[in-house]
Amino acid sequence: MSSTPTTTSRPWSPGLSWPKTALAALPMLLLTALMLLGGRPLPHDPLRLVPLLAVFVLSNVLFVLMLRTGKTDRFRAILFVTVAVCFVLSFIPNLLEVRGNIGLTGDDLVQGKTPFCHMVIPMTVIPAALTRTIIFPGSMLTGFAAIGSMLVLWLAATLALGRGFCSWGCFFGGLEDGLSRVRNRPLVKAIGKRWTYLPYAVLGTVVVISALTLTPTYCEWLCPFKSVTEFNALTNTRAVAQAVIFFSLFAGLVVVGPVVTRKRTQCGLFCPMGAFQGFTNKLNAFEVRVDRERCSDCGQCEKVCPTFSLDRESLAKGGTRVSCVKCGKCVDACPKGAAAFHIKGTALRPQARSARLLFLYPAFLFLTVFGSGMIQDGLYRVLLLVTTGSMIAH
Amino acid sequence: MLPIGQLLGEGVVVGLAGGTGCLATCGPVLLPYLLAEEGRSRWASVLALGQLLLGRLVGYLAIGILAWLAGMTVLASPRWRAWLVGTAYLGVAILMVAYGFSPAAKGCAATPGAGILARVRTRWPKLLPAALGLLTGLNLCPPFVVAITRAADAGGLAGSLAFFSAFFVGTSVYLAPLPLLGWLRRPEAVRTTARLAAGVVGVYFAYLGLVNLIGGLLA
Repeated sequence: MSSTPTTTSRPWSPGLSWPKTALAALPMLLLTALMLLGGRPLPHDPLRLVPLLAVFVLSNVLFVLMLRTGKTDRFRAILFVTVAVCFVLSFIPNLLEVRGNIGLTGDDLVQGKTPFCHMVIPMTVIPAALTRTIIFPGSMLTGFAAIGSMLVLWLAATLALGRGFCSWGCFFGGLEDGLSRVRNRPLVKAIGKRWTYLPYAVLGTVVVISALTLTPTYCEWLCPFKSVTEFNALTNTRAVAQAVIFFSLFAGLVVVGPVVTRKRTQCGLFCPMGAFQGFTNKLNAFEVRVDRERCSDCGQCEKVCPTFSLDRESLAKGGTRVSCVKCGKCVDACPKGAAAFHIKGTALRPQARSARLLFLYPAFLFLTVFGSGMIQDGLYRVLLLVTTGSMIAH
Repeated sequence: MLPIGQLLGEGVVVGLAGGTGCLATCGPVLLPYLLAEEGRSRWASVLALGQLLLGRLVGYLAIGILAWLAGMTVLASPRWRAWLVGTAYLGVAILMVAYGFSPAAKGCAATPGAGILARVRTRWPKLLPAALGLLTGLNLCPPFVVAITRAADAGGLAGSLAFFSAFFVGTSVYLAPLPLLGWLRRPEAVRTTARLAAGVVGVYFAYLGLVNLIGGLLA
């Protein structure tokens, strides 16, 4: 790509000086303190106090480093993966406390004791719009992971982040994100572009089948993350078949796939929620753009993108595909500083630093606040295990 | 034998009453195909629907003849019904998965030395809707079972065929608008997604087929 000497001589960096970093980090410090405490006094129980302080310190240190170094994904990933791991550590003991079992029984379904997660949102809201029926067997407004509260959280995150939700909010994505960093080099490098359309095919199919059968098809048959959360009690052949599918998909798409490709294979090649969320990128103000004048066509961004969202075609247009999760990995990796967070409708270079900051505030705050409960509870469970020998509070 | 006019009328009414079920079965099968193919003209979309309907008609009439021949003994048996539907669904699954997950053929079938396999790969999708129509036409959904019962009471082959032909007309009303979607402008991304969706629908039909076959074994 052609570039002028003035633009290539000094790579652009979004990092801030120490005084500016301190000034920019102060609002986050106050906001996280406010959100984490929620108007309550500090807990007296050390098993609760230590996780709370740990989350506060960890999140703010990471945010400061993010501002100072100008690296987004490097520090986002630490918090994102921590949230995902702690979610698993927290969810199962919590379920045992609330419901008494991990395996769903018929009674649990009838009584609406199934926790609702964001993965099933497209398979719920579209049939609900068509049939005026919520097809998920969960509680609507109250109780553990109620449908109403999850929908409100998702809507807020979607308005603020678009598909950035998948890198700054999804507590399942962190598992893949972490595993995709295990190897330094991928074993499998080439994945056909046509397969990147599979999530949209899965989305269309499960939405149609959910609407026709009035059952959450994805939850019942296809969710890999059932392997680390809950699934139907293994009391019949159908439930065993479902469990086999869940574990196979988890092993293939969440463990083996990310390790051998260094990509988020479940997110990029299968997840219907991600595909649905991709459309919200069109409505969201933030995006990642590539300045064609600075770009040297080295392909580094395409290589590191975890969700197959950059290719020659999208780069030629100076942007990403609709599936971009706004993780910032390409922005960190670009040797010329050509990739940057951007606000739609504004000029690219003069706004790049402020655009990144304006994106980071809602994104990081959402990750911290949404994930803090999970990190705190996960750490609490670990401390509980160490001090009492059990992860369940009696 | 019941009067043909009465059988025709009843067939249309039963078809109209249960036709949404046919849309639920044939829609997911036909829609990806209509959206996936490149450069299809309006008439080609109508032709695809025509093939699907013709395939369904053949399937219906085959059931009509079976209903008359067997005097309901075979089709009234849950085991045989499950096996028939299971086999038909597995047939749909194989076709859909092969169509959806195989790369779209780009070569010219007339190229010398392309070989019989290349020719088949390039040409077989053209008859795919007819094959899918035939296999989905063997679907023994509740309105179809009602139709079989009524046809068996019709008292003769002609009556049975007349009833199923009318039933076919009634159910086809719901499928008639589908080619309109095939007329929409379809970028490469939509065509690729639709083709992959055909494969995913195939996996779903494979599941339905296996459930029916296992159900037949346990019945």
